[in-house]
Amino acid sequence: MYYRIRHYVKSFSLWELLKGLNLTGHYLFAEKFTVRYPEEKAPQSPRFRGQHALRRYPDGEERCIACKLCEAVCPALAITIESGVREDGSRRTTRYDIDLVKCIFCGFCQEACPVDAIVESPIYEYFGNQRDDLLMTKERLLAVGETWQKKIDGNLAQDSKYR
Amino acid sequence: MSDQQQLVTIEIDGIPLQAERGAPLIDVADAAGITIPRFCYHKKLSVAANCRMCLVEVERVPKPLPACSTPVNDGMRVHTRSPMVLAAQKAVMEFLLINHPLDCPICDQGGECELQDVSMAFGGDVSRFRERKRVVRNKNLGPLVATDMTRCIHCTRCVRFGEEIAGERELGLIGRGENAEIGTFIEKTLTSELSGNIIDLCPVGALTSKPFRYLARTWEIQQFPGVAPHDAVGSNIYIHVKGDRVMRVVPRENEAVNEVWISDRDRFSYQGLYSEDRLQAPMIKQEGRWQSVDWETALIAAAAGLQHVVQNDGPDAIGALASPSATLEEFYLLQKVARGLGCHNVDHRLLAQDFRDQAHAPLFPWLGQSLAELGKADVILLVGSNCRKEQPLINHRIRQAVRRGARIFVLNPIDYPFNYPLTKRLIANPKEMITHLAGIAKALNPKDPSAEAIGIPPNASPKEVEREIAEALRTGARCVILLGDIATAHPQAAHLRTLSAYIADHSESTLGTLTMGTNGAGAWIAGALPHRKAAGQNLETPGLDADTMIAQGRKGYVLLGVEPEIDCANSHLAAEAMINAEFVVSLTAYRTRPMEDYADILLPIALFAENTGTFVNAAGSWQSFASAVTPPGETRPAWKILRVLANLLDLNGFDYMDATQIRDELQVLVQNADSPEKKDRWRPEKLGEKVAEKTNDKQQLTRIGDMPIHAVDPLVRRAASLQKTPDAGEGVIRINSKLAGLLGIWEGESASAVQDGIEKTLPVVIDERVPDQCAWLPAGIPSSMGLGLRFGSIEISR
Amino acid sequence: MPENILSEHAQAEIDRWIAKYPPEQKRSALLAALREVQHENHGYLTVESMDAVAAYLDLPPIAVYEVASFYSMLETEPVGRHSVSVCTNISCLLRGAEEIVEHVEKKLGVKTGETTLDGRIFLKREEECLAACCGAPMMMVDHKYHEDLTPEKIDEILENLA
Repeated sequence: MYYRIRHYVKSFSLWELLKGLNLTGHYLFAEKFTVRYPEEKAPQSPRFRGQHALRRYPDGEERCIACKLCEAVCPALAITIESGVREDGSRRTTRYDIDLVKCIFCGFCQEACPVDAIVESPIYEYFGNQRDDLLMTKERLLAVGETWQKKIDGNLAQDSKYR
Repeated sequence: MSDQQQLVTIEIDGIPLQAERGAPLIDVADAAGITIPRFCYHKKLSVAANCRMCLVEVERVPKPLPACSTPVNDGMRVHTRSPMVLAAQKAVMEFLLINHPLDCPICDQGGECELQDVSMAFGGDVSRFRERKRVVRNKNLGPLVATDMTRCIHCTRCVRFGEEIAGERELGLIGRGENAEIGTFIEKTLTSELSGNIIDLCPVGALTSKPFRYLARTWEIQQFPGVAPHDAVGSNIYIHVKGDRVMRVVPRENEAVNEVWISDRDRFSYQGLYSEDRLQAPMIKQEGRWQSVDWETALIAAAAGLQHVVQNDGPDAIGALASPSATLEEFYLLQKVARGLGCHNVDHRLLAQDFRDQAHAPLFPWLGQSLAELGKADVILLVGSNCRKEQPLINHRIRQAVRRGARIFVLNPIDYPFNYPLTKRLIANPKEMITHLAGIAKALNPKDPSAEAIGIPPNASPKEVEREIAEALRTGARCVILLGDIATAHPQAAHLRTLSAYIADHSESTLGTLTMGTNGAGAWIAGALPHRKAAGQNLETPGLDADTMIAQGRKGYVLLGVEPEIDCANSHLAAEAMINAEFVVSLTAYRTRPMEDYADILLPIALFAENTGTFVNAAGSWQSFASAVTPPGETRPAWKILRVLANLLDLNGFDYMDATQIRDELQVLVQNADSPEKKDRWRPEKLGEKVAEKTNDKQQLTRIGDMPIHAVDPLVRRAASLQKTPDAGEGVIRINSKLAGLLGIWEGESASAVQDGIEKTLPVVIDERVPDQCAWLPAGIPSSMGLGLRFGSIEISR
Repeated sequence: MPENILSEHAQAEIDRWIAKYPPEQKRSALLAALREVQHENHGYLTVESMDAVAAYLDLPPIAVYEVASFYSMLETEPVGRHSVSVCTNISCLLRGAEEIVEHVEKKLGVKTGETTLDGRIFLKREEECLAACCGAPMMMVDHKYHEDLTPEKIDEILENLA
């Protein structure tokens, strides 16, 4: 009996509607957190794991030494490396491919790298018109590293004390 | 001895074990599966006990003991994981890492490094060493072994290997204390034919493979068992494959065959698989131009060509030549195809010239004993063999015998260097080798009336050395006479065999043959011979042997893995016979310039790592192997090609599904073979006269045309790194100073060598190892290609 | 033949040493042989002379190189006429060997391991204990011990060298 009376009262006083309007009204006047992408961008952690990049030393020498640890650790088998002796006798990659279609952005490659050569850059705005576009070759990875060098170095510096 | 074999009971980590008294503790632990870390200890090398990694605690001994140099004794109680041992291991690891660079990511040994593994298992996790590490300059040890000497931990395995196994100390420990380093002191290329083994022995990345440098990581590699395709040992190997490409070859342990070693030739010849002239697809010559075609077209054309020759000139107009390194299955199918056509001209003895005794041959020529037995011989007489370079691992067995005290005698046309002391050596002109053997035979049994029948002159008076050899063979307990490649290729090879057999009979010695190629024994079993079918069934009318096929010329040729202009006894005649032939079908892995000229059809065949088959080694063991990689392009295994060819020729009995069926069929034939006189070796036989080679009266020089170690087959000739070693064979004429004086030629001058009217101008080197009236000019190398008989007469002039 | 490099006297001397050991252990005479050859060749060993010794004693050349590079009294590079080595082991060190080395270096104008420009004096790398601790600090000049060194004494010794 009690429940039935309560049900009628609630229904005729539009209680649920008012409750809903209250919430709407609350957000209507509260501070907005929608980001107007692409004009605005969300803040990013220095540990953000985006598209990969290969880094160079300040003197321009590529860092990667073809140890293949990233290839070995990659859980998605997205990395393919071929190595060889460069003219100066050093150990270098002759091929370094990351298939972004396979990659799960776990960041293990970055963790495994003994020389901080392969990193996941802050870039998340990239696309491909065809599958080939998402196969990052050594040249493309190095190009990403060069273009984003400052940002990547900054991120690594910020995070260095935790690594 | 009885004391040695006494069993004692010891206890390791609480596990009671039985062991021979005096055995090294580390061996006993290894046999029981108890891990003791070590760097310097190796079961095939002497004990150095300098790395101190194998320290263990023995009860009632106050200090830890190195397990490698501690013999077991009754009642010994050993702990390998006690606190004392763990502390010792950790401390030793810390010391070893003081000067070892932590550059595992760029080190080729990374992933298969003993130091890495032991450090993970027994070392500490942080380094306390803050001082500078020492740096050692790298040494250039030649084209096979790469060095990173800073990584060396001075275990001295490589030094001991040189002294004890290779028999040639090339590496040493130079300097002392902190300045000690492994090296050659002077810049020097390693010359040992077993030098590659130091790559496997080195526990760290100090000595690594140069051709394999930086190409792959161990974890990317798949390992397949295989059999090495170059010598009569058939060394067991592992083929390391990455992405369907052979990356390297390492030894597979087999105590009965190669122990733990392989020769450099077996280790690095894989490079030849990826030679640029590798044939990728079947090719047909149409109106003088080569065209790639599909298999069907090529095989139909091959079948039609062969049938054409058979119809016009009879089956006898075809000649089939096979490389002695083809597989048992390939030999069997080749002879079956040829005999199916009615042709018995099948042979694999490309280098031989004398076939007079072939009817009396054993089922197959072989070593006459197991390899291990050879290592226990007391007296060995080597006849015509540069054993060290021809058969590196058989030579290693002979060296083992020498280390036990065996006496070695050689009868050679060149004073080849051996890596053990020779008791006596007879260096003679090839023609005189027979006189010397006859002298030994005479000394053994001076009054034998039957001796003359087998070619021992009745008035022969043995020389001092010959008497000594005869005496050693008569008195020695286990005596062996080995006939090498030079004896087999000798113009009077049958005579050498008969005399050797006579000597063996009269001195109760074992007569052994170092078989040709990888599968010389298999070729005899499979019937790749003109006078015998498979499993040794004699034919009433034998076909033509390899030499006659070349000398007389055939209308059609089938070549199996052969480059006749290099592989045959007479390079000049072989090339000419091919060019004059109407139809040549070549089953080959490589497309060469001469072959393009004379062949009509090229069929690409798979090589050792790509093939499935069986090799029979000199000790008579059948070793089967499966393919490790896919052959390149359209290439197919030769047995499949021969099978389809047979079907196209409408021959019966070729419905094999795989290579195993072929082997099984042959095996049944061998088991059922009822050869009434089951001879296991050559016997002294009366021989017919051999037609003497036409010689020019003007000059009686004899060429000694042996095969350099890295020229023996098409595969190894294309192994780039091996061709850069000093063993590759130089295109020079070597004569002794006496002959040089007679001819008026000085060292370094060029001289012309003429054989069969073909002239080659080559530099001359004065070499006193060459006997009088001989010129040493190796075969199998580009500069001597096109000349005549390897052991024929030659003219040398300025 | 490489043996010709060895003088008759050296060969006789080596033979004398070989005779002291069992015939199968000719290598035992190696150290004495190298000492003799070095003495005849201005105080150092050339690769050719070491090869000659190796051939004479039936040893692989590398075995000779090992010994020659191991012992500090055998030199494999050209050196000066007189050899000076200052002990820097514990007793001498405590008695001021470091200053002695410094003084010698300053006096000769070379560092340890070097030879003076005129080829007169070779200053060896610091020598370990020469078993003359009672006279520390000490140095050895051409196999002769000089003990209780002072800078003045050193000056006198070095100046007297021809």
